[in-house]
Amino acid sequence: MIIRFSKLSIMTNLENRKEIIMEEEIGIKENERGWQDGMSKNITFIVTKDCQLACKYCYLVGKNEKERMTWQVAKKVIDYVLDNEKQFKEQSVIWDFIGGEPFLEIELIDKICDYIKTEMFRRNHHWFDSYRFSFSTNGINYDDKRVQRFIEKNIDHLSIGITIDGTKRKHDLNRIWKGSGGEEQGSYDDVVRNIPLWLKQFPDASTKVTISSADIPYISESVLHLYSLGIKEVNINVVFEDVWKDGDDNLFEEQLMILADEIIDKGYYKDYACSLFSDSIGKPLDAALDNQNWCGAGKMLSVDAAGNFYPCTRFAAYSLRSKRPVIIGNVTEGIDENLLRPFLTLDRITQSPQECIDCEVASGCAWCQGENYDAAETDTIYQRSTAICKMHKARVRANNYYWNKLYRKLESEGKRNDYDTVSKKSGSQSC
Amino acid sequence: MLKYLIVQLDDSAPSFCHYPDSEREPKLIPLDTLRKGLLRSMKENLTVQFIYPDYELPNEYAALIDSVYHADIVSVKSENSGLLAGAEVIVINSLENLENFKFAEGKAYVWRTSISDFLKNNGKLSMILPRIDRLNVVFTDVANFNDSLKVNYAKALDKLAEVIVAEYDRQHPVQLNLLTDRILLDEMNNCNAGDECITLCPDGRYYICPAFYSDSKNAVGDVNNGLNVKNPQLYRINHAPICRTCDAWQCRRCVWLNRNLTLEVNTPGRQQCVMTHLERNASARLLENLRNNKILGLTKVLYGRTLLYLPGLLFGFEKCGRGCK
Repeated sequence: MIIRFSKLSIMTNLENRKEIIMEEEIGIKENERGWQDGMSKNITFIVTKDCQLACKYCYLVGKNEKERMTWQVAKKVIDYVLDNEKQFKEQSVIWDFIGGEPFLEIELIDKICDYIKTEMFRRNHHWFDSYRFSFSTNGINYDDKRVQRFIEKNIDHLSIGITIDGTKRKHDLNRIWKGSGGEEQGSYDDVVRNIPLWLKQFPDASTKVTISSADIPYISESVLHLYSLGIKEVNINVVFEDVWKDGDDNLFEEQLMILADEIIDKGYYKDYACSLFSDSIGKPLDAALDNQNWCGAGKMLSVDAAGNFYPCTRFAAYSLRSKRPVIIGNVTEGIDENLLRPFLTLDRITQSPQECIDCEVASGCAWCQGENYDAAETDTIYQRSTAICKMHKARVRANNYYWNKLYRKLESEGKRNDYDTVSKKSGSQSC
Repeated sequence: MLKYLIVQLDDSAPSFCHYPDSEREPKLIPLDTLRKGLLRSMKENLTVQFIYPDYELPNEYAALIDSVYHADIVSVKSENSGLLAGAEVIVINSLENLENFKFAEGKAYVWRTSISDFLKNNGKLSMILPRIDRLNVVFTDVANFNDSLKVNYAKALDKLAEVIVAEYDRQHPVQLNLLTDRILLDEMNNCNAGDECITLCPDGRYYICPAFYSDSKNAVGDVNNGLNVKNPQLYRINHAPICRTCDAWQCRRCVWLNRNLTLEVNTPGRQQCVMTHLERNASARLLENLRNNKILGLTKVLYGRTLLYLPGLLFGFEKCGRGCK
């Protein structure tokens, strides 16, 4: 029997090997790469624009209870995607469900997923057995019987991230119940009760923490708190919107250094990961070799209740403060390839101002294409927002501190050379 | 760097390019607005191009226009025969007018046509090209081009190339933008609206080009406060990821079409790319024919030129589903 390995699977295997070496031999927990290392097609159903919460930092400015996807629209989406197999050549697919809060529509989602599985099998589609269902949830309905039934049924093809922001005071600062009016009601207690069940079902699950100006002082305690809950991977990002006040960068740096000390001194780095610290960030980027776009907008496909297609959810009307939505097609007429062109040809240099091109700590500085569009002076996705510049630089300073301290420790334990070897070997090139 | 100022003298001035003819009522640019615009052009060394309405302008306008170096863009329907006779660019909308027009030496003529009319009538150009020095074919419905028209468009271009070879052979180096521009160019030669060229319209506002005049929200400044082009870098070739690596140098790279088709001024729609690629390849075959027929000498610049025929139509980002280049 001939076993064929694709470039993708070889690369993924190498990366997995690196993770194993990093964790088992050197003892540093690495951040997990996404399923299929981001090589899959991501198709997002905006099943509802409703949510139980009204998080203060939420970029969804147009949430409402009315726009709920119907089965008819969902079926059309699936049929369109599966009918056009040649248009979607990616090796794998992630069927993503987003809201608002997606689990508010669990019955619809269950029907959608059943139909997807049946159709992929019936059509002998190349995604059959190479798919995931992915959810990002506030966790409130996680123990709902219908949700649990769904999880049980699909667990081998499921990724679920519950968003919990850290300690109760940090979480409740932003993640409050909708309509809690004058007396804000935090949602921490309603989420944390479901964490043990979630981790039992998904022991390697990670959570996503969002940082805005008000919650900088609680970063360190929050990450450590999440570790204490058993969450081994904490992904953190600062909001991309222009919310940062003078001095926020220094506070941020201070918090990250406290966190760095805790992680290293108490040895958390062996079993836990935090995306704020990465040995690849804070380096200059080559204009030609490192010219890829950061964001996957346009390579994913997002669809709303009306059956309109977007290059990413962030381009739907409910996500935009000041710009028109960017609709790239719909379930009836399909995708307008012309409207995808700007997304597929975006590169780092073309959209960046000179200060970013010349930046000596550019690597790891992220951007959101939707926020760039929303904040741009004209209706363009080609104007990169620099609102997080000082926060990135603060992160880089703390990150340098972290790695200098950790390397020194590894060296004293005789593990530094092993780490360097594995790091160099892992350098992989994307397509 | 700004080099050209286009002045649309009247709301009703006909289109000379891809954008549709104006449906507005006649309304002249105020004399004071025109004066301010021209003053700016003189201070900034801008070459001025006027787009005229079909009716004759009042004398005071003619005098002001005559006070600066300029070129005139005039419709064949102009009621001002003197203006028509002296104009540098004459715009013709119908094939009938084109067939019957008495062309003057050394002038450029614009034929605005739909793609279907061009495909139907391009054979008639074999009678026109011998009588004309330069013809710009401008399509008014580029968005309608689709893959089913590719073969016919390529065939039409090849037929016209045969006419051009014959004209060269009889010592008449006729220029047809779709075919001869590419073999005469050394680099990209685009419209460059928004970068090298800006338009002053009768409402006193500046626009990237006359096509954007349809909506005052598109204005990029006015005669009193000056120019204010936001994200100006996006009008430059180095900020156009598809175009900056393309060698269809004859392409107009129309930013108005770009915005209509892709929502971005720096990104062309597929139609524009496919059409110009077919033109580029037809130009390569034309150059080869001229060389084979040993008639390059007529235009010395063609000596040593090479232009490889590139059969593929795939662009870098289309080769890979993930958009990598």
